Amino acid sequence: MIVTENLSHRFSNGRLGIDRITLSIGAGAFVVVAGPNGSGKTTFIRHLNGLLKPTAGRVLLDGVSVSRDVVRARQLVGMVFQDPDSQIVGETVYDDVAFGPENLFLDRTEINKRVADSLQAAGLSHLAEERPHLLSGGEKRRLVIAGILAMRPRVIIFDEPFSSLDYPGVRQVLRQIVWLHQSGHTILVTTHDLEKVIAHADRLILLSEGRIVRDGLPDKVMKETERFGVREPCVSRLGLEVGSWLN
Amino acid sequence: MAELTPFSYRSGRSILHAMDARFKLLFLILISLASLKAGAWGLPVLSGGLLVMLSVARLSSVAILKELRYFLFLLVVVFTARALTTPGEVVFTLKLMTLTREGLADGILVCWRLLLIVLLGFVLAATTRASEIRAAVEWVLKPIPAVPAKRIGTMMGLILRFIPVIFNQARETAEAQRARGIENRKNPLYRLAKLGIALIRRTFENADRLIVAMESRCYSENRTGPVLIAAKRDWIALLVIMVLILPMIFV
Repeated sequence: MIVTENLSHRFSNGRLGIDRITLSIGAGAFVVVAGPNGSGKTTFIRHLNGLLKPTAGRVLLDGVSVSRDVVRARQLVGMVFQDPDSQIVGETVYDDVAFGPENLFLDRTEINKRVADSLQAAGLSHLAEERPHLLSGGEKRRLVIAGILAMRPRVIIFDEPFSSLDYPGVRQVLRQIVWLHQSGHTILVTTHDLEKVIAHADRLILLSEGRIVRDGLPDKVMKETERFGVREPCVSRLGLEVGSWLN
Repeated sequence: MAELTPFSYRSGRSILHAMDARFKLLFLILISLASLKAGAWGLPVLSGGLLVMLSVARLSSVAILKELRYFLFLLVVVFTARALTTPGEVVFTLKLMTLTREGLADGILVCWRLLLIVLLGFVLAATTRASEIRAAVEWVLKPIPAVPAKRIGTMMGLILRFIPVIFNQARETAEAQRARGIENRKNPLYRLAKLGIALIRRTFENADRLIVAMESRCYSENRTGPVLIAAKRDWIALLVIMVLILPMIFV
């Protein structure tokens, strides 16, 4: 599904954001990309739908280079950013979900259908006419997810999806992510807080200073996270199995 | 935060919600023009019409007045200035201030007109989605050559969407500065500069994030717009409004 080959990005100030990242992510995977602040997580994921152009290397989506067809890449790879307030553009919940399909120049009947389906999937149908800035933190995240779902992506990337959320908010968003994975989406989650999500992942990638330093099964990689500035989940420290926050 | 956003869409199923945004925009312009020319008989007619609109749109007058309280304060200032500076028959004099009968009448008239126009804007914003207002503006600008109608429409839509967010940021920034004792600084310019710089920086940072999020959702100027359909009710409303206000504008 996603292949990166020697992907590197150097910022205009000369700082290296990511350095020769080569990996392959299969369809239907649930991958957690962890690392401390400044490790290159956000820079890496922004290459996957063409928001950033690599200084060297390339990204392939189903064998097609992202730089060759950016619009296709953005349809295939939906991205949920950290701060929901700065990505909600609609005057109402309905308008915001319709924003993506409108950009794809779909006809109004198809847009209405996609919006209705996405709102239902996100459990926001009853709030369709509500003003987005009046929603709770968890509802805003779900609205952003609904906006992405309306574009029918196959991969959904979450950039620090649990930041600034309370416990019920974390559970709402986590439930949504798990449901999306179960319904066939490939999921990538960036975080520096493994505890909330790692129980659901089938792969953990650790980034440090723009490089992949560990990549493998969560149970194995988790033991080494603290060497690279990421806190090991408490139960893992105690030698227990990490449980889901949904239980 | 809701109290900081008087000019925002409120969903509903009234006839005003269902009307074509182009007509509503035209009505706003026509009635505002008429209110500037309307006198002692015209303003009550327009105000009556406005009350009907508020009632049809199911907008609570108390809630509106509450949300417009700062504007009402401005009206008091305007009224006082007019009442005290217009020459005419003196009602009473206190030290250097003279209140005149003409000043009182003029102040009432000016404030009435301003309130009418603002409330009309309120009704338009409350019953029309930003996307529809944007589409109506695009429709108006489309025939004008060299004017990027779609870009202007998008900018308008985003401004409407982000006014409440900017207000919220201003409130948060002001609270954070108060928590650090900015009220001990008596110089209002210093306080304004400290608030303004922080607010502008945050607004630009948010704008950057917004651009990335819009790009990520395939933003382009060629988008599917809302469907604007002029129905029979829109034409009837136009006819009624023309009959009512044309005499006010031209007589």
